[in-house]
Amino acid sequence: MRALLLKRLLQLVAVSWGVGTLTFFLMRALPGDMAYRIAASRYGMDAVDNRAADMVRAELGLDQSAWSAYWQWFTDLLSWNLGNSLVSGAPVTEQIWHMLGHSVLLALAGILLSILIAVPLGLASAFKGGWLDRVLLTISTALRAVPVFVIGLLAVIMFALEWNLLPVAGFGTPAHLVLPALTLALSLAAISNRVVHTEARRVFGSSFFEFARMKGLSPSQAFMRHGARNIAVPVVAFLGIQLITVVEGVVMIESLFSWPGIGHGLAHAIFARDIPLIQGAALMMGVLFVVMNTLVDIACHYLDPRGGQLS
Amino acid sequence: MSLIHIENLTVWAGQTELLAPMSLTLEKGQRLTILGQTGSGKSLLAQAIMGNLPSSLRTEGKVTLFGDEVNAKQRQRFWGHRISMLPQEPWNSLDPLMGAQPQLQETYQLVAGQSAGEARQSADYTLALQGLSDSGHKRVDQLSGGMAQRVAIACAMAGGASVLLADEPTKGLDVSRRDQVVEQLLTQSEQGTLITITHDVAVARKIGGHMMVIKAGELVEEGDAEQILKAPQHAFTQALIEADPVNWPAPEPSTQTDKRLLDVEDLTIGYGTSALTKHLSFTLDEGEVVGVVGDSGCGKSTLGDTLLGVQQPLGGRIKRQRQAAVQQWQKLYQDPTAAVSRAVSLRTLLEDTIKLHNIDRARIAPLMQQLGLTDALLNRNSEGVSGGELQRFCMLRVLLLDPVFLFADEPTSRLDPVTQRDVSKLLVDVAKQNGCAVMLVSHDPDLIAKRCDRVINLNH
Repeated sequence: MRALLLKRLLQLVAVSWGVGTLTFFLMRALPGDMAYRIAASRYGMDAVDNRAADMVRAELGLDQSAWSAYWQWFTDLLSWNLGNSLVSGAPVTEQIWHMLGHSVLLALAGILLSILIAVPLGLASAFKGGWLDRVLLTISTALRAVPVFVIGLLAVIMFALEWNLLPVAGFGTPAHLVLPALTLALSLAAISNRVVHTEARRVFGSSFFEFARMKGLSPSQAFMRHGARNIAVPVVAFLGIQLITVVEGVVMIESLFSWPGIGHGLAHAIFARDIPLIQGAALMMGVLFVVMNTLVDIACHYLDPRGGQLS
Repeated sequence: MSLIHIENLTVWAGQTELLAPMSLTLEKGQRLTILGQTGSGKSLLAQAIMGNLPSSLRTEGKVTLFGDEVNAKQRQRFWGHRISMLPQEPWNSLDPLMGAQPQLQETYQLVAGQSAGEARQSADYTLALQGLSDSGHKRVDQLSGGMAQRVAIACAMAGGASVLLADEPTKGLDVSRRDQVVEQLLTQSEQGTLITITHDVAVARKIGGHMMVIKAGELVEEGDAEQILKAPQHAFTQALIEADPVNWPAPEPSTQTDKRLLDVEDLTIGYGTSALTKHLSFTLDEGEVVGVVGDSGCGKSTLGDTLLGVQQPLGGRIKRQRQAAVQQWQKLYQDPTAAVSRAVSLRTLLEDTIKLHNIDRARIAPLMQQLGLTDALLNRNSEGVSGGELQRFCMLRVLLLDPVFLFADEPTSRLDPVTQRDVSKLLVDVAKQNGCAVMLVSHDPDLIAKRCDRVINLNH
């Protein structure tokens, strides 16, 4: 266990450095004058002229070389100082903490909801087969074939505009969470219900499941004692792989629903060329990814002890 | 009241009759032995009696259990506590994620209706009786085949069923374990009735009782077991009995070359930190055929992996006295279906081997003829040929590489006796002709005695 955590900590450092550095140079490589973009974000497009841009340039020290800017960012990072936003001037750490809470809430709600959708449907289609299996396969394929923002738009049109059941966008009340979480959950469940289905079929058809029945366990006892855990092992591992879909989906969905999370913040920061905020947001997503993968690995180990010691 | 009464039970796949009408009646304390080759429909009969045939198959006929006529669905309620079946492949029949003891304990608790405390005691007691006290926490991947077999038998019996079906209960067990299992079955059958399905004449002889001999889904001979085994009437029964290794002719000794192939000194083998066998010293000459015997779990397969360099020895030295390419040190697996991909035809697999090693195509036809393989067979995949044919195909692939050493790990234990005799003879003969040294692993001392020049016993 300690070995695994140590290894993951090193990975965390590597990911942080890699993501931060990559975003830094990618942002520098974008065409256009950074000072203009930042000034436009501060004062509005119409109020920008050379003077305003020069003021921004002087204030933020944008004319220093890329290497010295990078070096400064790097030494700041070592003291856990992500700098100040180039647009608002507020500390990036503060903004990111604020956005992170919203993103984690959305991600967890989406994952949980996707499990609640995928597991019963996957098990039912494996158990029953026939038309239920074919219908679910069709829906899953269709949902997976469209980008996640199309699912979101359809949800908005149906639940918010047509039926007036839920707010279109924004945040604050639990009702605001429903549509973004549902959109994320649907795009995740579209695949995970098929994984549950396949694994359940494998277990239901296995010799050990048949023998559990043969030695006298009832179907429900055989499922609880020998089915559930054997199905869970590959499914949980798949949820780990799916985390990348979660990160991807969160960026899209937050922008669509104006959900004030990290994805939304990242998109805005990119338009405003707010490099410290971009770096901070990307960094935090990388960190989240490593942490959640570690949690999945630990869960897999306890479900399936065959892999030996955690390392 | 008879415990089990069956009238004209047949099994159909669509319009094809897989099992001709079978009838039988068993009272308390009676035993039935069904003898037949692999693929003869013996297992279909067992599954039809249990009521767990795949839904693609259809049964006809009447099954009466404990005086009530019951259909397949109703029979499921009897599973475990009134009628039970021993699995054929215990290593696939135990939960891969759960230890042996909990799987046994849950059966005592949920099926036999004991309290949690009683069930734990019963499970511990039964494991101790089977010599598995130290293995209760182990999962099936940590147990040897024989140990898994004993755990599975204990699970099948824990519910207290009085009708017990045993489908090849001794497959892959060494003789001492085999006799133990047979004893266990006989003791159990005193309380009820026992139906044993086997291709092993020795097992049939020990269990005795009433006997049915089945060939290709048809009953060829029926009567008292002792009578049939002493004076078989049908040609098929005679062939089966002749194929028992006890009745094989004595081996011709190999021509000794006295050229040393392998020196093994003070070898310790095992996994991780646990040693399976220690202080093993022996030599092997070119072209020699040596048998390897030992209890299940003593490290027979591990010895092979260590000699082939697949696994590191824990101690001691292995010295190869002859320089040969890595692919000339070969292994033949116990289960040919696990060693051959079923995704492509056998011809594709053979072509891959030829291309990879630049093998002269002119050598293939004569070798195939010697192994009794036809060209048409190569068009099928591994599922379309019999176990014996597939094992001979594996031998073809191995022999094309001009092996100097072949570790044959129970290469015939999954084959029926007639095929076993032919394949093992072929293996030894062809290896001798090609000057290849063979280490033949088997749990059957009779087979080793009839095929090998000398024996290494891992138990000492």
